[in-house]
Amino acid sequence: MAGSAAAQSGGRPGYNEAFIGAPLADSVMQYNKESYVMYGCAYCHGVNLVPRGEAVDLRRSALVGSDVDGTLIVRALRAGFWQTTRLSPMPQYSDLSDQQLNAIAAYIHHARQRDRYTTLTQAPLPAGNATAGQTDFAQRCQSCHVGTSLAGIGKKYDAASLRARLLEPPGLTGGSFALDRLRDSQRAEARLRHERLLENHSAEQVANLVAYLQTLN
Amino acid sequence: MYTRREFGGLVLGGMASVGLFSRVSSAQSVFPPNRSLINGVQFGLQPFCYHDLPMTPANRGTLINRLVKNGLGMVELHATWVEPQFAAPGVSPEEVRQKQRQWRRTAPASFYQSIKKEFDDAGVTIFTYYVNLNDSYTDAEIDAVFAAAKILGAQGCVGSQGLRVTQRLASFPGKHGMFMGVHNHANLSDPDALNNEASFVKALSFSPHIQATLDTRHYTAANGDCLEFLARHHARMSSVHLGDRKRNNGRSTPFGEGDAPLIETLRMIRDNRWPIVALLEFEHGTLRPNVDEVQLMFDYCKRALA
Repeated sequence: MAGSAAAQSGGRPGYNEAFIGAPLADSVMQYNKESYVMYGCAYCHGVNLVPRGEAVDLRRSALVGSDVDGTLIVRALRAGFWQTTRLSPMPQYSDLSDQQLNAIAAYIHHARQRDRYTTLTQAPLPAGNATAGQTDFAQRCQSCHVGTSLAGIGKKYDAASLRARLLEPPGLTGGSFALDRLRDSQRAEARLRHERLLENHSAEQVANLVAYLQTLN
Repeated sequence: MYTRREFGGLVLGGMASVGLFSRVSSAQSVFPPNRSLINGVQFGLQPFCYHDLPMTPANRGTLINRLVKNGLGMVELHATWVEPQFAAPGVSPEEVRQKQRQWRRTAPASFYQSIKKEFDDAGVTIFTYYVNLNDSYTDAEIDAVFAAAKILGAQGCVGSQGLRVTQRLASFPGKHGMFMGVHNHANLSDPDALNNEASFVKALSFSPHIQATLDTRHYTAANGDCLEFLARHHARMSSVHLGDRKRNNGRSTPFGEGDAPLIETLRMIRDNRWPIVALLEFEHGTLRPNVDEVQLMFDYCKRALA
């Protein structure tokens, strides 16, 4: 058993790597993840948001999808939910600090985005409707992507690459969102918009956007 | 301090005091020496708490190894550690239940005997068998569950069913010389739920074979007073699920950081020589390997009783 305990910890004494996973490259997000695990969220909602038992599936939660900067999640954490005949209970976390609660919220978004990115990019890309994609683009994207900023992108990348870059633009990933917001509010806003798209767009909506982007050649 | 034999006698004495279990004495006498009797309090584990170990038959060996490593000699065994899994893609819940029901009614005694032997060989006593009995269970299936528990060496079955189902179950444990433990949650909105003293009193009134399995975490989170409950109902308690939470539907915490009176609960059991088994359980998060977390919890309890 001593051997298996060492294997579980992944070489970090006291850290259950077999259960929690290898430490994330982003140390801030690792802190957020550890907060999520340490305060008991993973017990019901799962380390990677795959729920255990009757807990709400946070990968599909409308509340999480509507949450922009942690406000809704933190409010729910503070209040908790008493159990009802239709709803499993969630304890209230009013004794935790704002920083601790925001760390939990940030990890929930991160894990949801990772799950959605994997799901969407590994699935076959369905044929999209470019017209529907253009309408969606006009509503959600046009205000930033004005003029010719995306001209020729349909020639530059194939459909799968377009999908991956749309869901997670390489120039917007990594680092601290809190610092982004201080240093470069435009970049932070762009990051937030793409993350929300990643969290909430269906495979069909993404395919439509890709179909539209392919026409920009 | 009690000897193991004395503790066994106390368990029997407590049960005899409510006029039950005349046949349990022979079963008790074959229990192996128990390594987790600490200063008069018998400890065990409710292994539902392992966050990192799915409760499946395939993981049963790991469970036993963990119990031994933690120095625990008693367990409340959930049926999912024992029974084959019938859920599979394309199989409806009704089909799963049908297969499960059929399997339970026909499983040979040797199946359960071999599992009991796994625990016996490791020096671990199966104290209770946890099954969430509900309306979908036929009478024959309920009898089969109690019979299985008996072969496993358990003294009773435990579940988190509501009052209505508990009333239906009340006549079953006596037929098997066992008890039915009723376990509470913190659900204050459902009048059928086990959640406070009044609901326990009602459940206990259904039969002398019903026993309380007081979950200190949930009882505290539902703003109940565990010590008052112990003082008033100890004669009808088979065990406590020992864990910590904050009041007002608060979160689960490591032992000693919440509002559940864990030290006082253990000392009351010890000082009054009540035959109430303390089953460690945790829902709080931890970064540690869970076997290490259980050890911390157990060590906390040992210090409380030192």
